Amino acid sequence: MNKQNILQIRHLSKTFGKNEVLRDIDFSVKTGDVTTIIGSSGSGKSTLLRCINLLETPTSGEILYHGENIISLKGGAPKYRSHVGMVFQSFNLFNNMSVLKNCMVGQIKVLGAGRDEAQQRAMEYLNKVGMSQYIHAKPRQLSGGQKQRVAIARAMSMQPEVLLFDEPTSALDPEMVGEVLSVMRSLAKDGMTMIVVTHEMDFAREISNHVVFMSNGVICEEGSPDELFLHPKKQETADFLSRFRSE
Amino acid sequence: MGTFFDLFTDVAGLWQKYSSQYLSGAWSTIKLAVIATAVGCIIGLACGILQTIPHAKTDNPVKRVLLTVLRAVIRVYVEVFRGTPMILQAVFIYFAVPYFTKNAVRLEMVPAAYLVVSINTGAYMAETVRGGILSIDVGQTEGAKSIGMNHFQTMLYVVLPQTLRNILPQIANNLIINIKDTSVMFIIGYSELFAVHKGITGATYKYFPSAVIAMIIYLIMTIVCSALLRLWENKMDGPENFDIATTDTLAHTSGMINYPNKKKKNGAKRRRLALGDLR
Repeated sequence: MNKQNILQIRHLSKTFGKNEVLRDIDFSVKTGDVTTIIGSSGSGKSTLLRCINLLETPTSGEILYHGENIISLKGGAPKYRSHVGMVFQSFNLFNNMSVLKNCMVGQIKVLGAGRDEAQQRAMEYLNKVGMSQYIHAKPRQLSGGQKQRVAIARAMSMQPEVLLFDEPTSALDPEMVGEVLSVMRSLAKDGMTMIVVTHEMDFAREISNHVVFMSNGVICEEGSPDELFLHPKKQETADFLSRFRSE
Repeated sequence: MGTFFDLFTDVAGLWQKYSSQYLSGAWSTIKLAVIATAVGCIIGLACGILQTIPHAKTDNPVKRVLLTVLRAVIRVYVEVFRGTPMILQAVFIYFAVPYFTKNAVRLEMVPAAYLVVSINTGAYMAETVRGGILSIDVGQTEGAKSIGMNHFQTMLYVVLPQTLRNILPQIANNLIINIKDTSVMFIIGYSELFAVHKGITGATYKYFPSAVIAMIIYLIMTIVCSALLRLWENKMDGPENFDIATTDTLAHTSGMINYPNKKKKNGAKRRRLALGDLR
């Protein structure tokens, strides 16, 4: 199967003031890939993801989307973002809209879809995440797991090519983690291209076909889940993983 | 007791003779206050959108200069109109136009009054809106950006509706302040309630009874406005509970149907479910 590179990150660096958060990051994502980024807190995982969605402007380097560098693309950020969905740790659902509106507004205002079409697609994905009963609810009336499932439906209803997850289960109560992970699992099964920043090691190992381990702003090691989890080449990776094993 | 009886007869007498004047004065007051507050809000919201346009060092120089100038203009506008008395602003604008045009152009007093109160309210609202926008969690903006919205769309559909809800009490404040403070517009001859009161006392010398009438009318206007704005607040908050929507045909008989693709007119009853029932 000949897979195409959707995203290529080239020599990406990001500094906040004098603080160097990302250094010379290099990796690619192919169609249908599920890439998980793991690493301890403060290693730059989330910043990397936010750079990929241009919520942070990289200090240097390139992000190639279908071979085109999107950083130098003037004023193209909104259009690019409509192809690259993002799911946040803190959900970030629009508090002033119902669940259904949350999933429709982007389609109507950004993609220019008609109301009926937008509603149909929103319902399709809300069904998929098991939230179609709650379309009239406002975000404040939902539990964390429900909010995150709606957030996934909102991102999916834009029909993105890549979906980014920024620690989607970190803000959830333990009993709600499962429902979100199972939604992500089924997206992965459908062939969705995903980049997932997560602390759920078992999930990362199960779902992904590529794992990136970050430490102190650089990619320390990357490879297939089996390689990385069972036979880590670097001592840092092994140390990091052993902290999860001991639990 | 006798004095109160006298007051009552004086008030009744004044009302009988001049009620239409009081009422038309009150109408002018409320019209000016409501319209100027609305226009002021629009000015404030516009300033809010313009002030929060994101700027980065990597932007091209033309855009950066434009944004800097824009911010400076808004800043000056806010400081000048917040920092001087409205009564003076009225005189200033009313007489500035004929002065600079050598009497060729004269401002009518009615449009001048609307203009002055609107831009005065706008100056306060600009700061209120700015604070309101800052109070909205940055996650809301990021959520909107992540689905591809630009700054204008983010503001219009996500941030400002929430801002508006948060600053509604302040808008109510402004409206009530305007109802009272438009009385200074008598200085350029705008005949609102206070001007009517002044006119009537000039003709009848019944200062106190007329003041009683004006007080009561002002109070009625402000209380009604504040009640209406509270109603609006509640409406914006929406219902406490939400309807469950279902495609399960068995559930249709239970009346729990409010599915968007079905016609609403099919007579199905909607059952309100409290949030507590769901858990």
